[in-house]
Amino acid sequence: MNSKKFFIAFIATFVFIFIFGFLWYGKLMSDAHMAVPALFRPEADFKANFLILVLGQIVIAFFFTLIFVRGFGSGGGVAGGFRYGLLLGLLVCGANLIRYAVEPLTTTILLGWCVGQVIEFAASGVIVGAIYRPPSTTA
Amino acid sequence: MKRFILAFVAAYLFMFVWGWLLNGVVLKDVYAQWQNLFRSREEMMSLFHWILIGQALLILAFVMIYASGFAGGGVMAGIKLGLMLELAAIGMRMAIYAVQPFPGQMIVYGSIGGLIEMSIVGAIVGVIYRPSATTPT
Repeated sequence: MNSKKFFIAFIATFVFIFIFGFLWYGKLMSDAHMAVPALFRPEADFKANFLILVLGQIVIAFFFTLIFVRGFGSGGGVAGGFRYGLLLGLLVCGANLIRYAVEPLTTTILLGWCVGQVIEFAASGVIVGAIYRPPSTTA
Repeated sequence: MKRFILAFVAAYLFMFVWGWLLNGVVLKDVYAQWQNLFRSREEMMSLFHWILIGQALLILAFVMIYASGFAGGGVMAGIKLGLMLELAAIGMRMAIYAVQPFPGQMIVYGSIGGLIEMSIVGAIVGVIYRPSATTPT
């Protein structure tokens, strides 16, 4: 494993997940979340737990990158990263469908989370695939 | 393709039974303490098909990721993939904990259950799905 490339890919993925999460879930889906206030922490409570959110995103980005490097790193590239990210987005969407059946989420929230996560992970896959490239072979 | 379908069906059946045992039996009393965060039993039953579809989608994506990048590694590769995916899921649970008022106890139990579940899912897929062998000419 190329540790330097791994580290750069991991950091770039984390930065992307952090910004995307703020824009998609924090801004774009803000009204949808407000529709069921009992399911979300109040602002002050959320701010008190903000560090846990960031740590969680670091953990996601680390293992997302590690799985790519372990499974696809030797020849994945951008296309492999996109495919892997898309599959991971669908996996998380499956988990959200289960949550929808047991938690009183609205269909708007379910749809927003699923679409957001597919975009988020597919784009993360492209980032990781673009940074963690196999060494080019010289003729 | 046959092994892919077999791996999918076996892992799916395991996830269904495990999900019922863990959430419906073992953690039943824990969930009962936080009823306000969950749908009523009647409502859940009316949406039960979404659980089946969600589990199917999750397992399908798992087997596809395994087949794309980890096939050939056998049981250990399956277990490693399951563990890595679940560790990423623990990151997601941390993010969920920060924004939704779930008790920490529920996040911890869910994460421990998830680590066991995904390791076994990985082992099942690793045992059953093997890339087609190339025959020497």
